[in-house]
Amino acid sequence: MTSGIIALAAALAIALSTIGPAIAQGTTASKAMEAMARQPEMANTIRSNMIIALALMEALTIYGLLIAFMLIGKI
Amino acid sequence: MENTANVLFSIGPLEVTKAVVSMWVIIAVIGIVSFIATRRLKDVPGPIQNAAEMAVAKLQDYFTGNMGAENARRYFPVMATFFVFIVVSNYSGLLPGAGKLFSVPTANLSTTAGLALIAFFTTHVVGVKRRGFVGYLKTFLTPFAVMLPLTLIEQLVRPLSLALRLYGNLYGEEMVTEQLGELFPLLLPLVMQVLSLLFCLIQAVVFTMLLSVYVTEAVEDEE
Repeated sequence: MTSGIIALAAALAIALSTIGPAIAQGTTASKAMEAMARQPEMANTIRSNMIIALALMEALTIYGLLIAFMLIGKI
Repeated sequence: MENTANVLFSIGPLEVTKAVVSMWVIIAVIGIVSFIATRRLKDVPGPIQNAAEMAVAKLQDYFTGNMGAENARRYFPVMATFFVFIVVSNYSGLLPGAGKLFSVPTANLSTTAGLALIAFFTTHVVGVKRRGFVGYLKTFLTPFAVMLPLTLIEQLVRPLSLALRLYGNLYGEEMVTEQLGELFPLLLPLVMQVLSLLFCLIQAVVFTMLLSVYVTEAVEDEE
């Protein structure tokens, strides 16, 4: 019973922590594309800044993934 | 997060794990390569010197873009050391035998926590040196003294998030690769490894970028 709940908690940890960063990354990518289309000469700068911003958001998902791994270790 | 099976031997109360030994090897490799690259400097550089010069020039450009020319020149050694060490240890995870024969140092919370602590003290020592002790403490009270608790929390959360971000990415990547390998050992882990070619570099860039932002914030004069 308990291990089932822990498994559920692990699934929720990674699933919920994916939602927010996914929305944020989508917004970032779409805005960056827009900016690149408007100013193709700035495309390289925008792309590298976008990747760094994406990596910062990715970290939030990774926190969830860490918690999920910790929970799975407890089963 | 420490796995006791990874302890190789101990010096007194200190247990030397696989990650520590891998870190020593990485430090030795970086040291030897830099020594060979700078041993006999020539006007027309050989291949190793050429690569080293290119790396230094690119890093200098990158930090200049982040911190401004003067700060970048002044704090280049510490930033570049962080960058080179993190990049090399991240990429060591792509070598065959990673996780079994040796372990990736940055996929270990102790290593990244150490790096983050160094970053934390670097920021504050640099700030105190530039502004003086009282002057640096005053920056916590600007713009509003009421914000002091928030500022303090922010300062303390920074090393935590630096450590967890690097550790989580590397550890998560390792775990996903392992899981894929268990599903289907042939070629499937390659998908994740190609992605990690990109992520390993990005994580090092993010770590040093955040550090350079923190340092700039600590030394910069407010308007």
